[in-house]
Amino acid sequence: MLTPLEIEALSLSLRVAAVASLACLLPAVGVAWLLARTRMPGKTVLNVLVHAPLVLPPVVIGYLLLLLFGVKGPIGHWLYEIFGWRLVFTSGGAILAAAVMAFPLMVRAIRLSLDAVDQGLVFAARSLGASRADAFLTVTIPLMLPGILAGLMMAFAASLGEFGATITFASNVEGQTRTLPLAIYTATQVPGGEAAALRLVLIAVGLALLALVLSEVAERWARRTVYGT
Amino acid sequence: MVRLVLLWTVVLIQAAFLTLPASGQAPREITVFAAASLTNALQEVGEAFAKAGEARVKFSFASSSTLAKQIEAGADAQLFLSADEAWMDYLDTRGLVAAGTRRAILGNRLVLVVPADKPVQVEIKAGSNWLSSLSAGRIATGDPAHVPVGKYAQQALTNLGVWAGVEPRLARADNVRNALVLVERGEAVAGIVYGTDAAVSKQVMVAGMFPESAHDAISYPVALLRPHDQGGARAFYTFLSSPGARAIFTRHGFAIR
Amino acid sequence: MIEVRFGKQLPNLLLDIDFSAPSQGLTALFGRSGSGKTSIVQAIAGGLKPDSGRIAIGDRVFFDKAGGIDLDIHRRNIGYVFQDSRLFPHLTVRNNLLFGYKRAPGEHRFDLGTVVNLLDISSLLDRRPHHLSGGERQRVAIGRALLAQPTLLLMDEPLSSLDPPRKSELLSYIEGVRDELQVPILYISHAFNEVVRLADQLVIVDAGRVVLCGPLMDVASDTTVAPLIGRFDAGSIIECTVATHDNDVELSTLGFSGGQLRVPRVDLAIGTRVRVRIRSRDVAISLSRPMDVSITNRLPGTLLSLTPRDGPYVDAHIDVGGATVRALITRESSGRLGLEPGLKVWALIKTVAFDSRSVGFIRRARSTTSPLE
Repeated sequence: MLTPLEIEALSLSLRVAAVASLACLLPAVGVAWLLARTRMPGKTVLNVLVHAPLVLPPVVIGYLLLLLFGVKGPIGHWLYEIFGWRLVFTSGGAILAAAVMAFPLMVRAIRLSLDAVDQGLVFAARSLGASRADAFLTVTIPLMLPGILAGLMMAFAASLGEFGATITFASNVEGQTRTLPLAIYTATQVPGGEAAALRLVLIAVGLALLALVLSEVAERWARRTVYGT
Repeated sequence: MVRLVLLWTVVLIQAAFLTLPASGQAPREITVFAAASLTNALQEVGEAFAKAGEARVKFSFASSSTLAKQIEAGADAQLFLSADEAWMDYLDTRGLVAAGTRRAILGNRLVLVVPADKPVQVEIKAGSNWLSSLSAGRIATGDPAHVPVGKYAQQALTNLGVWAGVEPRLARADNVRNALVLVERGEAVAGIVYGTDAAVSKQVMVAGMFPESAHDAISYPVALLRPHDQGGARAFYTFLSSPGARAIFTRHGFAIR
Repeated sequence: MIEVRFGKQLPNLLLDIDFSAPSQGLTALFGRSGSGKTSIVQAIAGGLKPDSGRIAIGDRVFFDKAGGIDLDIHRRNIGYVFQDSRLFPHLTVRNNLLFGYKRAPGEHRFDLGTVVNLLDISSLLDRRPHHLSGGERQRVAIGRALLAQPTLLLMDEPLSSLDPPRKSELLSYIEGVRDELQVPILYISHAFNEVVRLADQLVIVDAGRVVLCGPLMDVASDTTVAPLIGRFDAGSIIECTVATHDNDVELSTLGFSGGQLRVPRVDLAIGTRVRVRIRSRDVAISLSRPMDVSITNRLPGTLLSLTPRDGPYVDAHIDVGGATVRALITRESSGRLGLEPGLKVWALIKTVAFDSRSVGFIRRARSTTSPLE
């Protein structure tokens, strides 16, 4: 039913989106905590950096990634010398581009859920002998679960649709970085590729709907588990 | 509440008027769609044209494939400069080219470039093992599926008998300038671009030139586009073949046809 | 000995607290809203950092400004029962209960079985807090605090968010905790009837200062604190013993040093010692023993003092066989009867005035030693 090319683009998209959103998870919780609960100096700077991908054009972000993580960039050079890792032309690059673009969305969702946690419950936990870290892990995080799931789903969905940063940074390599959006774009550039493009668009829409349904299910499950309602 | 809605409607209408093109006025601006490889040269030509007291020229540079598709979709361009005949044919068969205005005016060479900090010199011909002089890694060029430089590259590599080996390591870029950037940044170990592009960048050097027999002649056709054929555009169209313009093109490394 | 002495400048109140409480039994902290009670509890628990002073239980020092000691909340080993229970919504009742238990170091004096039975919550163990009633939640909250093996139990107005039937139900459970488990309790409230029923010691707080501190009987009958307790809540507290029960008329008789009190039937064994609170507004004065009147309780005594109060009222203290009964009457009536200290008078108290809601019947445990001293 699906051509090998379509299957490849689909599975690559799913893989990139899954890895990108999971990779964002822990850092997003950490950054959300730093922004919401601490008074560290430079909080404004961190806030601006984190939200930059929301505000700047994706191609600009892609270009900045190229400057930093390309083999001639400060970080990319080090990665290549020490580990032999290349990010441009590889799915690793696609994952990084998707992760950077989705990160602010996840931070926002998680921060909202963090702010919503009743601090009175945290105090209660501490009065019962829990250290700050203990209370964070056993009370705050479980209560944030619906919000964390929401953030994860949002990051996943955003990663599925990521185009500008991916094509600018990781380039358009079949099987490595040609996710669904890039595949659709490529099809539209090729003469007579309209039919193929349409098919890919339908697949993308179907995927988006599926993701929406799953996220609803996940959120209901989380609410039941956390609050028992 | 009603006043707010009224105010918002007025602002919206004003904004719409600003973005819509004013009709019935003689345009002081000409829009030209041109292949990415012409970026530097054509911009200079445009400046010369404006200095000569003529209208201002607005350029849009991208892969000829991208531009052709945009024109087909109704983009507001008066002139099209393609990097190969095939994409001009594409528009011609769809009746978008003004009759009798299609002319091939420029030529180019296909070259192999490498990052300037890792210089290599090869002789590209059938039988010589020139590929082995390159490091392992990807070779960047335009996507042979639609970008002219990529099509020329595929032709040349096929005729040289090495296409099967090179195809898996191709980095397919959207246009020739992107391919150039990949080589500049060292992401690709080599690139196949036009000689004029290599001249533009100090971060790449020409490792070798592809024999012209290995591929179709690189030809840049120009044409006036049919629905938007207007006086000012014709002036620029003519200016492209003027001695002044030709001098600019030659200086950038283009061949004059 | 629980020592609480500290100063703290709050946005709209200056706290200057100094009191001590015994390491056993229940000490009530009473005061109006805004008097500083919750801040005191917060300071003891570690949620509020005082500007100066010292807070200690026995030889465990929680805070000492001079000595630079300020123990972290989770190291203070204090069981805190909140007004709004604050049960963890993502855990079952059982896991809520065991939250502190798992984290308490050393030997565990209170175990799950004992606490669950004492508070009658065994049927709730696998439920989630969301599905519990207010009263059930508070019982679980008390259990959770106890299972954290505290050296002090802090109860911050635990009854204020419950409706009256739940309140008295919960009072019985708290009495159970007070009597059966050897842990000192600091009980904060602005409802005097709760204090009367539960407290051994009473600390009265007003405008950020401790006004009076001492055994309940002494403090409650002190004239200076009467205005703080509220005109209509004020009264006297008398220690009685249950004497007889009359099932056919549904009344009981309580005996005390000054005679007997006839009250609606109480469900207590004969010989049980109780504390009875008589609101002064329910006491009338007569110069002679009235015979054809419906009031059953007619106690002979001597008028000790007459203190004018705001409005048309006068607060009369009557000595009845050693116990003090207070009566709130009008100035006019006092004048009409020609009342003056030393006069022999009769204190009249309607049996109807004694009800389980406004009067505190309390059960006293016989144990007197605390392992904490």
